[in-house]
Amino acid sequence: MSVVQLRDVSKTYGEGPTAVHALKGIDLEVEQGEFIVVLGPSGSGKTTMLNLVGAIEEPTSGSLVVDGIDLTTMSEDERTEFRRAHVGFVFQFFNLIPTLTALENVQLMAELVGKNHDDSLQALAVVGLADRADHFPGMLSGGEQQRVAIARAMVKEPPILLVDEPTGSLDLDTGRQVLAKLREVSDVHHRTVLLVTHNTAIGGMGDRVIRLHSGSIASIQRNERPLTPEEVEW
Amino acid sequence: MVSILDRKLRRDLANRRGQFIAVVVTIVLGIALFGGSYDAFLNLQASYDHMFDLLNTADMTITGGDIDAIVADVQQIDGIDAVSTRTVADVPVRIDGHHKMLGRLIGMPVGEQPPVDQVLVLDGSYLGSGTEVLVEQHMAGHFKLEPGDTIEVLGPTGWFRVPVAGVAASAEYLWPAPSRQQIIPSFDDFGVLFAPEDALGGVPATVAQRQVLVHYRPDADRAALDEEVKAAAVQHGALDTTTLADLPSNAALSEDLAGFQEMSVMFPLLFLAAAGMATYVLLTRLVLSQRGQIGLLMASGFSKRDVFGHYLRFGLLAGGLGAIIGAPLGLLLGGEISRLYTGAIDIPITIIHVRASTLAIGVVFGLVAGAVSALAPAMRAAKISPATAMRGFVPPGKGRMSLAERILPPLRRLPARWKMVIRGVGRNRNRTISTIVGVVLAVTLVLTFWAMLDSIQVLLDRQFHQVNRQDAQLYLTVPVDSSILDELQGLDGVALAEPVADLPATVRSNADQYHTELVAFDQTTKMHQFIIDGDVKPLPDDGVYLGDSLRDLLGVSVGDEVTISTDAGSFTLPVAGFVHEPLGTFAYVNRSRLAAELGVGDVANTVYVQFTPGVDREAMRDRFGELPYVGAFIDARALEAMADQYMGLFYVFIGIMLALGGVMAFALIYNTISANIAERSSEIAMMRAGGVARWTISRLITGENVLLTLIGVVPGLLFGYVFALEGLATYSSDLFKWDLYIRPTTYLFTVLAVLVAAFFSQRPVLKAVQQIDIATVVRERSL
Repeated sequence: MSVVQLRDVSKTYGEGPTAVHALKGIDLEVEQGEFIVVLGPSGSGKTTMLNLVGAIEEPTSGSLVVDGIDLTTMSEDERTEFRRAHVGFVFQFFNLIPTLTALENVQLMAELVGKNHDDSLQALAVVGLADRADHFPGMLSGGEQQRVAIARAMVKEPPILLVDEPTGSLDLDTGRQVLAKLREVSDVHHRTVLLVTHNTAIGGMGDRVIRLHSGSIASIQRNERPLTPEEVEW
Repeated sequence: MVSILDRKLRRDLANRRGQFIAVVVTIVLGIALFGGSYDAFLNLQASYDHMFDLLNTADMTITGGDIDAIVADVQQIDGIDAVSTRTVADVPVRIDGHHKMLGRLIGMPVGEQPPVDQVLVLDGSYLGSGTEVLVEQHMAGHFKLEPGDTIEVLGPTGWFRVPVAGVAASAEYLWPAPSRQQIIPSFDDFGVLFAPEDALGGVPATVAQRQVLVHYRPDADRAALDEEVKAAAVQHGALDTTTLADLPSNAALSEDLAGFQEMSVMFPLLFLAAAGMATYVLLTRLVLSQRGQIGLLMASGFSKRDVFGHYLRFGLLAGGLGAIIGAPLGLLLGGEISRLYTGAIDIPITIIHVRASTLAIGVVFGLVAGAVSALAPAMRAAKISPATAMRGFVPPGKGRMSLAERILPPLRRLPARWKMVIRGVGRNRNRTISTIVGVVLAVTLVLTFWAMLDSIQVLLDRQFHQVNRQDAQLYLTVPVDSSILDELQGLDGVALAEPVADLPATVRSNADQYHTELVAFDQTTKMHQFIIDGDVKPLPDDGVYLGDSLRDLLGVSVGDEVTISTDAGSFTLPVAGFVHEPLGTFAYVNRSRLAAELGVGDVANTVYVQFTPGVDREAMRDRFGELPYVGAFIDARALEAMADQYMGLFYVFIGIMLALGGVMAFALIYNTISANIAERSSEIAMMRAGGVARWTISRLITGENVLLTLIGVVPGLLFGYVFALEGLATYSSDLFKWDLYIRPTTYLFTVLAVLVAAFFSQRPVLKAVQQIDIATVVRERSL
């Protein structure tokens, strides 16, 4: 069953001669529980695609349905409601709140959907940080901070996790730990993961790899045996 | 190289124009208010001095004693320019045939001005014959008297008509206060007339006072002369010696001058401090967000000095711009305040100077404030290591539990978003301190002035309702006796009539002497309450109550003996207590005791009356006016009304202070919140991406802001209280005794006013939060 459906989706910034066509007529379907890696050089449109699926931006044209909800004609408030219930984001720079502990950073999102303290602690446990729950971000390593960000995205139990360059600020070992947790989210918790990166090595981890080039899908490749994080090298 | 940096500076300013404008506006206000109040002080001082010089105003006025002997002695003193004598008498005057009031007749030579204490004839002509008067301009204005009109004066043989020769201004009566004890006059009940000296010869000695007026040479040592002249006067039995500074009018006006002088220090201090904080916050944030650029500049060969100068110029530009706008604005403001003030109290000549020194001080203030506030951020920028800065990494702040959560553990169970609010307060200590200081300054400004207004209102109420219990005072043309009292008491609208003695007197101790009014009441008087140490006490049988300023002025304590001299004789009594009264410094004795001390049957020379509740006061004035033996009628409520009228100016003043306090709070809070939000934009964008609604984020920011404001409010109220206390203390003298009283609602409204300013200051920032570009910001690292 498709959890994400893009039909002839285009996104254009600006108008006239200065218009930038970030995405051009994208057609894509993503199944529940799939681990999708979107690859492409800078400016290929991969983050725009992530933002459209996450309802941060709206398409200029085409049809976009996520988790059964048509995102093409939503108001700002409706998009906020959608993001709250249906997607979780993980960003390159973690964006944790420095004045809140790891647990409280997770709780901040948990409270949005009526989850309690135990749910937040459980989400931290999933990413292996239950024992660091009371630590503030300043006391955590980069990898730990990114894992808190994953727990924060997961605690709402959204069907889709949207991940933007999760290893961009991390060294190889830490990056592998983060990727392992993301893979686990998909495999064990049956979440759909849409991960965008310019790191081609990570492509081997995905169930499918979508390559974007100048706003269009250049290729879609299915990995018969996705690599484990330990096998990924960069 | 420099021009490119200048271009960058211009664009940085353009990108942060809101915050920059807030800083500049605060500096403009500080400098304009400095210039306005300082120039007003100098202009008013110059205007008064001009009048004193123009009219040869007496440097020393001596009342009573052996006048001829005093004149002879004083003329021998080196440094004396001129000496003259005159007679002064307070006599009943009738306007338009029915309005009875007290007129102060001041003797003047006919045909030429006296050598000392001349008058400025504003309309009509100077005294040309022995049967006309000049009317002081306040009285003329109040009763619309013009040359050619006539008024009536009560003489030994009854009322007689006197033509008005002209309207005149007197430096001695720039503000027509009857005495230091009655600094607030009622124009309905008191006026000044300049009459031929010879015509005053017929005034009874009981109401006429002879005076010697002494004018010093401009180059004389005034302090030394004051002592010498005073000694000569006292040696010949003078009742009172009054220096120019101590003249009732001058003493009253000096209080306002001191106020303007104080404001010229306080305003720039408050506003430039606020502007400095705002600049500091803005620049600190700018330097932090431009770490990468600074690293690049330094790596490319720009020196530390270039970088330091670049950011310092930001402060100098704000200060310079504020000064360029503020200094001329201050000049205009100073002129306008001077004109409004002299217009309100009818000072005939207003001197307004354009002072380069005020402009220069304003510009220096602005530049120094800008430079000082930019110094720390500019130094920080110059110290940045290029290698570290270009990596663009800023270590995340170390989070920790807030003090509030440590003190109140239940707060730890708050939802995470509210913990974020509580901890956000301490997130950036310097910025938090800046915001709190801004709030403290704003609250201090507003509360100080509001508290002074409260105090004045409460003290006027105390003076006119608790201390003075009479509704009116009657000056009679016949001796006060029981039949007259019975008749007055029987008048419709009169609840009570009491005989009272009110005599000019000098109170002497071993250390000093003080000229005042001795007021003698019945021991069981209902017309006056004597408040001693907070309790109402009856008049003593054997002793005198003194106004509590005399404790220090005369160096006396309860039980010490003082000598009281009046025209009717002198006597000695022990001090029975010190009364605490807001206006004036009087001496009070038991009426029968006074009669016994002076060896006369009765001493009453006036009658105090209380009206029945709800009576028409104007009708009472008319009713008393019709009684042939009532010479003058002083409505106690008219004095209060006069005081209230001048309070109107204070209300405007408080309104302006509220607005300025609001602007100050707005500018600083706006800048700190802008910096706060800029620093957290990626966190906010993350929350928005995670599904947190815009209004929730607005609520969280508002919560943090309100919390910060409330933290600043507490020390602000404390500072405001202390400032008001100090402010009132500097105004307290034998003329006024201002105790601080602040209504509970004043605290509340001050806090509300600052909260409203804080609320509105965040509106533009909240609008920016609403429009935050989540897609862009989430990909940026927080700096």
